[in-house]
Amino acid sequence: MTITLPRVTSVLPVIAALLVAMPATSTNAVAAEAEYHHVHITSFAPAVSVRWYTEHLDCQPIADRNDAADCHGVEVTFVPQATQGGTQGTGVNHISFSYPDLTAKMEELESVGSRGSGVRLQRFEGGEMVREAPGLFKYGFIFDPWGTRIELVEDSDYLGFHHIHLSSTDPDATLAWYQSVFGGERDSLRGRLDGLRYGDVWLLAMEHEEGIPATTEGRAIDHIGFVVADLGNAANEMQNAGAEFQQEPTVPENARTSAQRAFIYGPDNVRLAVVESGFAGVDSTFAAENTADSTPYDPAQTPWGEPDLQGVWTGNAAHGIPLERPLDLADVENLTAEEAAARREGGTLGSIWGYEREWRDTTLGYDKNAPSTQVAMIVDPPNGRLPERTPEGLQMAEEAGRAAALYTENRSAGPEDLTPYVRCITRGLPGLMMPSIYNNGLQIVQGPGFVAIQKEMIHETRVIPTEERAPLDANLKTYLGDPHGHWEGNTLVVETKNFNGRTNYRGSSADMKLTERFTRTADNRLDYQFTVDDPKVWTQPWTGVFTFNLDNEQYDVVEYACHEGNYGMTNILSGARALDKERAEGSR
Amino acid sequence: MKNLLTTVAAVVVLSVCTVSAQTDETPRAWDGNPDLNGIWQAIGTAHWNLEPHPPGPGHPDLGAIGATPPGLGVVVDGSIPYRPEALQQKQDNFTNRMTNDPEAKCFMPGVPRATYLPYPFQIIQGDKKIQVVYGFAEASRTVHMDKDNPEPPPIDSWMGRSHGRWDGDTLVVDVQGFTGEAWFDRAGNFASAALRVEERYTPMGRNAIMYEATLTDDSVFTRPWTIRMPLYRRLEDNARVIEFKCVEYSEDLLYGHLRRVPTR
Repeated sequence: MTITLPRVTSVLPVIAALLVAMPATSTNAVAAEAEYHHVHITSFAPAVSVRWYTEHLDCQPIADRNDAADCHGVEVTFVPQATQGGTQGTGVNHISFSYPDLTAKMEELESVGSRGSGVRLQRFEGGEMVREAPGLFKYGFIFDPWGTRIELVEDSDYLGFHHIHLSSTDPDATLAWYQSVFGGERDSLRGRLDGLRYGDVWLLAMEHEEGIPATTEGRAIDHIGFVVADLGNAANEMQNAGAEFQQEPTVPENARTSAQRAFIYGPDNVRLAVVESGFAGVDSTFAAENTADSTPYDPAQTPWGEPDLQGVWTGNAAHGIPLERPLDLADVENLTAEEAAARREGGTLGSIWGYEREWRDTTLGYDKNAPSTQVAMIVDPPNGRLPERTPEGLQMAEEAGRAAALYTENRSAGPEDLTPYVRCITRGLPGLMMPSIYNNGLQIVQGPGFVAIQKEMIHETRVIPTEERAPLDANLKTYLGDPHGHWEGNTLVVETKNFNGRTNYRGSSADMKLTERFTRTADNRLDYQFTVDDPKVWTQPWTGVFTFNLDNEQYDVVEYACHEGNYGMTNILSGARALDKERAEGSR
Repeated sequence: MKNLLTTVAAVVVLSVCTVSAQTDETPRAWDGNPDLNGIWQAIGTAHWNLEPHPPGPGHPDLGAIGATPPGLGVVVDGSIPYRPEALQQKQDNFTNRMTNDPEAKCFMPGVPRATYLPYPFQIIQGDKKIQVVYGFAEASRTVHMDKDNPEPPPIDSWMGRSHGRWDGDTLVVDVQGFTGEAWFDRAGNFASAALRVEERYTPMGRNAIMYEATLTDDSVFTRPWTIRMPLYRRLEDNARVIEFKCVEYSEDLLYGHLRRVPTR
């Protein structure tokens, strides 16, 4: 065993520092005297990530650190930055934790996942969660909400943080490189898997399946890190061992301590951090929310003299703002940036926790704008809550509740039992304007006298006339009603009536009059205000606001062929018929 | 009484004059190009069959209402130059049209079919892009006029990716990036995902546009071919593209066999 770095060699445990942008993982080789492991995982909302690893993988919060957890001696750190994808396909395929009873652990995670808390199981082809590798141990896979693939194993010899799995074009050479640069002990896991062992943590390397591994930089595990006692000396030794520095040792900006950090690239495009003992991460702050300038903004005009609202906008930054002000936030003016990020992440997890990370990233993850810190949409009534319902409104809500219960009981006798949204008919108004978790584009094209507002989700285009025209006959009611627009200064005001009442927003009726106001308050900011006046349902009108952000450069509204690809409908109905059959046969 | 009659006659004459004056002139947009803003519709039987066709029977339950009316066809040179195997596919499509025609399923019609379906469509012509909003299946598309070097279509779609430019007074739109699932008409005429359409919108005065579309798809046709038909401005004062969300009228066709009490 060639030990290039005597000090590191003598160190028993490797420090795994996983720096993850979504999550980035970095393993830090511990300095000589310390059994200090840390993993930095970067996520959009570090505090949420810490909680996730604490709740689901039995890590411990670290005092004075809201961005890191102690996972059985390995520090996992979360860095707020946008991810460019999960760990798979990079040179760090996954990390691994070991539990004494894997079957029980997987069952626990399965029950959590089904409640929508962002635990995603990767089942094997036969649907089972756990398999046994002959001569090794039982194993299974999950993903964290940020795209990190995590293997869970049942290895009673090494419990807790178990291994880092490198995906390599030449596993032997890779292990040799790590050993020459960071030390560690060549060992064989149960006599079957060759690896490097740093204390109780294994570094395993296996054949990469396709081509060359993608760089870890910017991915869920951005890097793994090793800790050394004195980076100055260690750096020289590492360089002598053939390591090339991507970033020379330096005290990073906003570092919490004076310890230095360096980055090098290991084999297989794996980014590696090397930090000095005492390194305690970097204070990261979110980009400030894009707020309106206080100076009056005068939007550009179209060549024919109307305010120019054209472009591709998204409601991504507004995603997660609840309609009503939460009762426990009655006195809060704005969320902090971190609270806002956590709220959106929570909302994301609640709705698409089971989706592929890469897919999800193409929706919210690439958004340039920080999540809105707005506490709630409703600004009138001033308490941010929907006004009192009328007696008729209360009765309608009760009937809707009964219908919903009946639906559960009846299990979709036909498509008509499902919502217009599930049927790909419409999200209704103002529902279709609301931020959605994906396909959140809003494209505005103007011509003289008309504004076309194209919403990507489901695909619906509203054509708003800005010059007076005769209203539709009162009997000609439609899902999206009869819009009439006009300009008030720089604001496009749209008033809509003649709804058919077959969609509702929070219990609104066909009698609703909807007034919307679109105001461009900055080049890249379109403020949207909507007032629902529905005296049949509510004792007073109510108003909500949120903001769309311009994203002409990177966002392209795509065709959302909803009905054309509505396999969900076929599956829901055929599933319901299967349940009917079981019920008839008495088996359910 | 005589005076009154004279007045009425004068008014009638006046308004006729106004209309004919409008007809002669192509309206101009802010930039001097033709102004195509408005609500337009094709008239004819192209939506039944692009090729010349005699009348034919429809679904027996609908009697004469469902019958195919005869038509002269809109294909320049008369017929579509199918490759032999593609012609067989077209005939199969026709045989199974009652259940397989994407129009019956309320699927987006694609290009050029969206143009000559029997529904109005609205052109919103701005300074950067042109939005075309069709009266069927919530279809609409953006004609990008502001891309000097159009990138390849980001994804395949029913309506394709449209890039436009002006060639004199003709709006030329290049459309590609199709799913290959759309049909051209109720006769089962079709193309593959390799289809490329070049549309030409040439104003014929104020109230009509000559519409031409050249279709190229080497895997289905032996050569490019062209359809041509006028589009007419809808002149009613209250003309508009009324919301027609047809999904619910297709559900029985698509899901009737999955109802608790099956209807198909």
